[in-house]
Amino acid sequence: MAEKFHTELSELRKEAVEMAHFGRSMLRDAVDALIRQDEELAVSVVERKEEIHKMEVRLEERCYQLIALNQPMAKDMRIIACTLKVITASLRIGRYGKVIANIVRDLSDNPHIAHLMSLPHMAELVIDMVDDAIEAYDTDNLRLIESFSSRDDTIDALRHSIFRQGITYMMEDPRTISRCTHYIMVARYLERCADHACKIAENVQYMETGERVEIH
Amino acid sequence: MSESAIITTNNLNLWYNGKHALESVSMKVPKNRVTALIGPSGCGKSTLLRCFNRLNDLIDHVKIAGEITLDDENIHAPSIDVVTLRKKVGMVFQKPNPFPKTIYDNIAYGPRVHGVRDTCELDRIVEQSLRHAALWDEVKDRLNDSALGLSGGQQQRLCIARTLAVEPEVILMDEPCSALDPIATAKIENLIEMLKADYTVIIVTHNMQQAARVSDYTGFMYLGKLIECGKTKQIFEHPAEELTENYITGRFG
Repeated sequence: MAEKFHTELSELRKEAVEMAHFGRSMLRDAVDALIRQDEELAVSVVERKEEIHKMEVRLEERCYQLIALNQPMAKDMRIIACTLKVITASLRIGRYGKVIANIVRDLSDNPHIAHLMSLPHMAELVIDMVDDAIEAYDTDNLRLIESFSSRDDTIDALRHSIFRQGITYMMEDPRTISRCTHYIMVARYLERCADHACKIAENVQYMETGERVEIH
Repeated sequence: MSESAIITTNNLNLWYNGKHALESVSMKVPKNRVTALIGPSGCGKSTLLRCFNRLNDLIDHVKIAGEITLDDENIHAPSIDVVTLRKKVGMVFQKPNPFPKTIYDNIAYGPRVHGVRDTCELDRIVEQSLRHAALWDEVKDRLNDSALGLSGGQQQRLCIARTLAVEPEVILMDEPCSALDPIATAKIENLIEMLKADYTVIIVTHNMQQAARVSDYTGFMYLGKLIECGKTKQIFEHPAEELTENYITGRFG
């Protein structure tokens, strides 16, 4: 019975990694669509919303079933606890991708201001964090999340910088208000995605060591 | 463990016919807490439990080395009277074993052995013990019926009441629920929770979920050794030893 449970547990983990990659690809494609002003790609991101919701419900149910039927302990219990958090964080990251994709249509009629400020760079850093968090969960490699606290500080600083830059452009030319407000919002969504990557990292740390850490 | 210990073992070793059944077991059992002993069959949990009231003395060819103290007193000291020790350290077994007597006489048996003759006093002890064992309401109108007519769960609570009647300090329970159905088990588990206000409970169980539910401290034993002992929450959430982790996650045992 224990063997069957452990097989199911590793299958669950594999599927949670797939879901995390799915959420990550929604974010990646949304950012690409924004940079390239590619409305078609943006629409495809929005369309993936249903799928990621279905994944969330299916995987959460699997977690609850494993708990109810096997009463897992120690690392087994921590894996399921962490998986539940990974599922939630992946859904959120995917949804922020969708929200960014929704903005693309409003921004595709005119060229970007200042090459989207630091948004492309910020997006790269955030997606790197998401990738490392997913890989740490998949491979138990804590090294990948070691410097998450300082990486998150960088993201916060970038968001603040984009905010100030946006305000400056808006003050100079009120016609940019709508566009710059969207940039500021995107920066906020990206920052939230980095926070979700940190949440995954905190839970991977707990899964591996049983210790609770706070990354912020 | 910073709580005050009622029982302490120091480098305890035990051999049955030369077989080393307990190896250098050193542990502290905190007072007014429930301590569970878990581990695979034959790991020495019951043997360790039976050391605490010197029940192993009754088995031939047993050799014990090391020290066990109860209230800071060595239980193997020549001055210790084993009958008094077993009064202080009561025991409940896997299978309910009521005497083939009435419910009342089962409970009054111990106090009578220890010299209580006064009927009013015996009545008081019987009622109090049955109340403490959460059995009074179910049997108060049939105290003179045979104890053998009770259900398995009731019989086990009767055995606990019988233990309580001689006012022990520590209650040893060796798989107290393994012969009971889930409802009777839940009653015994609730009872264990209530008992720790007045007594120290040490429970041996195969059922890890039960250990996790009822105990404050858990000791994991393997091949005669105490591998790890600590707060139950810590043992079941993130044990320090890999062997403990592998056992409680069902990878062996």
